[in-house]
Amino acid sequence: MKTQLSKSPADLQAKLEGQTRYVHDMRLPGQLVGKILRSPHPHARIVRLDVSRARAIKGVVAVLTGEDVPHHTYGPTKFKDWNILARDRVLFIGDEIAAVAAETDAAAKQAIAAIEVEYEELPGVFDPEEAMQPGAPVLHETIAGDNRPMRIALERGDVERHKQEAAVVKSGRYRSNRIYQGHLEPIGAIASWSDEEGITIWAPSHIPYRARETYAAGFGLPEDKVRIVVPPIGGSFGSKYVLKVHVIAAALAMAARRPVKIIMDRYEDMVTAHPRVPLTFDLEIGADREGNLLYKDVVVYADAGARVYWSPNVIATACTRPDNIYRFQSAKSEGHLCYTNNSPTTCMRGFGNAEMLFAVESVIDEIALELGMDPAELRLRNIVRPGERTIHGYRLDTCLLEECIDKVKAISGWERRADLPPYRGMGIALANHVSGFRAIDPRFDGSTAVLRLKGDGSLELETGEIELGQGMSLSYARIAAQVLGVPEGSILVKSGDTGRYPFGIGTLASRSTVMGGNAAKLAAEALQRRLVSLACEVLGKGASLEDGRIRYGEETYPLSEAAAWHRARHAGEELTVRETYVPDTEMPDATYYGHPSPNYPFAAHVAEVEVDPDTGRTRVVGYWAVHDSGTIIHETMAKGQVYGAVAQGIGWVTMEDLIVEQGRVKNPSMMDYRMPGARDIPNIEIAFLEGEDPNGPLGAKSLGEVALDPVPGAIANAIAHATGKRGYELPLSAERVWRAIHST
Amino acid sequence: MNSAQQQAMTLTINGRETVWDGDPSASLADVLREGQGLTGTKIGCRTGECGACTVLMDGRPVVSCLVPAGSAQGERIETIEGLAERADYQALVQAMLEHGGVQCGFCTPGVMVTTYAWMQQPERFDGDLGAALKNNLCRCTGYLGILRAAEQALAAGGGAR
Repeated sequence: MKTQLSKSPADLQAKLEGQTRYVHDMRLPGQLVGKILRSPHPHARIVRLDVSRARAIKGVVAVLTGEDVPHHTYGPTKFKDWNILARDRVLFIGDEIAAVAAETDAAAKQAIAAIEVEYEELPGVFDPEEAMQPGAPVLHETIAGDNRPMRIALERGDVERHKQEAAVVKSGRYRSNRIYQGHLEPIGAIASWSDEEGITIWAPSHIPYRARETYAAGFGLPEDKVRIVVPPIGGSFGSKYVLKVHVIAAALAMAARRPVKIIMDRYEDMVTAHPRVPLTFDLEIGADREGNLLYKDVVVYADAGARVYWSPNVIATACTRPDNIYRFQSAKSEGHLCYTNNSPTTCMRGFGNAEMLFAVESVIDEIALELGMDPAELRLRNIVRPGERTIHGYRLDTCLLEECIDKVKAISGWERRADLPPYRGMGIALANHVSGFRAIDPRFDGSTAVLRLKGDGSLELETGEIELGQGMSLSYARIAAQVLGVPEGSILVKSGDTGRYPFGIGTLASRSTVMGGNAAKLAAEALQRRLVSLACEVLGKGASLEDGRIRYGEETYPLSEAAAWHRARHAGEELTVRETYVPDTEMPDATYYGHPSPNYPFAAHVAEVEVDPDTGRTRVVGYWAVHDSGTIIHETMAKGQVYGAVAQGIGWVTMEDLIVEQGRVKNPSMMDYRMPGARDIPNIEIAFLEGEDPNGPLGAKSLGEVALDPVPGAIANAIAHATGKRGYELPLSAERVWRAIHST
Repeated sequence: MNSAQQQAMTLTINGRETVWDGDPSASLADVLREGQGLTGTKIGCRTGECGACTVLMDGRPVVSCLVPAGSAQGERIETIEGLAERADYQALVQAMLEHGGVQCGFCTPGVMVTTYAWMQQPERFDGDLGAALKNNLCRCTGYLGILRAAEQALAAGGGAR
């Protein structure tokens, strides 16, 4: 019998021993199986919907259609275009029409098959630029009569003047594709309802408080009548935010008055996937003869799909964030977010930034080529420096970008680049990111931590941010332990229950280390003060906290004693502190100008590739990643972030593509949507250039997304160097590279 | 499930003989999870493509979602729960923690089962763990932590040799 307790529900050791219970592994008493009937058409009117045969099937407890559910205006962003189930019209293949809860999987499947629907097919639109044309079918009349829920137009400096002055101008139409997030745990949820508590959903979501607010609005309930409990999350990378399947599970549970579990199978997960937002960039960058970048001018088209999930944030990021790496003297961005009859698209790690950087870093290499300059030198000449305010207003208290370039040149052997054999190439790319983003929720930013002294002298730290296996809990424990001088192992980090733990904006925008970490630090400092004042009260003036023990003169006392002193004076209540970190940031203004993050991480990556000229296939043979993420709190987990991100980038650029034709996913299986395996990943050498950032906990900046941001650009530049031909469209598949090699 | 398809089957799971009444064509993964409560074995795709459901049959990794339970009779079935009880498995666990071989953990049971089998008999996989893991997808770690952990555990004397 094991008596050692896990550090948290998401404890890594428990995962390695098969003890971790994901939502799929849970079973509630009386639990039913939920299933969803989805539209087979990309755009159609529902002419007739008859569920009477489904309702009559033995074992079926509830069957819902759009007539049986509320129709409040709701959605996860300010563009409130969601429903619970469709009433009149379906807008994409996979749009939800009806749902069933039954005693068994077989009965639920049978009921779904017994639902009769007649459709009148309507013309669809599948391309964002076509969606903007007059006469295109309109998806949401009340939100955007021209299918354009969001338009961005910003300009800093005088782009027209710099166009006149530029000696070198490079441009192109670049495209980034739909990437399936590739979470190994299929999407699912369990929901239950009670009249006293309202809705409870066990949902792997890393923004559970936004989910709660969204779902409550969908049912017309007060926010505190929805509780989201987050089981360990089996991979997300942006796919598990706020999802219709959670809402439908809740609707079924309310109707059946029993818990309902919906677990999608992989086919359903991929056919209805909400992949990375595909973006098209018409990009132009100009430089003077010395290689000083003068301007950047871009028009971005984004395919939101049929509803808005998280795409507005993606296009806003693409239109602004990568500009803050270079000293562009002027910059202009125009962005068009468009509805289409494709499945809604959403976030994936590095959203907006990695895509735009693929285009920007490609064009910068083209400029270097034309000027006959080393691409690393051209970048060194133009990068932002510490102490500067960037073109869109980011204040850079720390920035080791120059050092990152120098270091990545050194460890990759960059000078070899000039003498590589044919069809071998090296490419460099830079990246930046934020550590939380002020505009994620315009109402507020920051994070709260509660720290509790338990009777045995151990500590519990509660946060509203979410563990995904990235090491958040280990980091928070280490931060608090360092402040208090207690062993890390004595701190249990708890999160993932909107009914129990402090409010959190969520684990997105690379927030968790800096936002939640600063809250953990503040809470640990507050607990330290409370412990010292308690000890002075009990023992006398001059008592202190040293190495995790109370000291008074020569005597020391364990924290369990302090816990007992506090409880004796407070009716048994545990000593608890609650602290909120509010960052000193600025909300970006209407032109997207402002200082939106406490600090900004940077990176320089180099990829080395070998291209087979007969097949066009690219093999990444070497990879070097140098990062300025401030102080590294947990090196093993930090390296894991970089290895994983680079592997995802290699997949993105060389093999992955969720192919959608006329709204239909053509490769909805892991066999046909190939992701990297162990043998596709080369050795990856990582260097962290540590320096304390004044605004990060222990000096830390974020890492999870900035590690993916430069990968597409670095590999694309390596392929261009290897072949002499530029790739404009991701993925740079074997076929595309072969065609480029053989083009004239 | 139709009772006509029910059959009593004797399965040897983690060293224990169990009689299970059910459909012999049901997947071994479902029988382990639903019938035996061994939820350490994960189901990521049900089509044998992701490897999260990998278990050992007579020491050989198989994707249990594609194995009919009936055909597993007479074989030694080992799941992650069984392996975790072994002393030499712990060296691999510690190496994985040290090298970052685990993050979200959903692929981990399959990865650990395959890696452990490789450590026992590398020759069965042409010696290369990268080849052995060809049926195990991991989206978090980029595999390098897994490979290094396994090498370290093997060098430290874990496994058969």
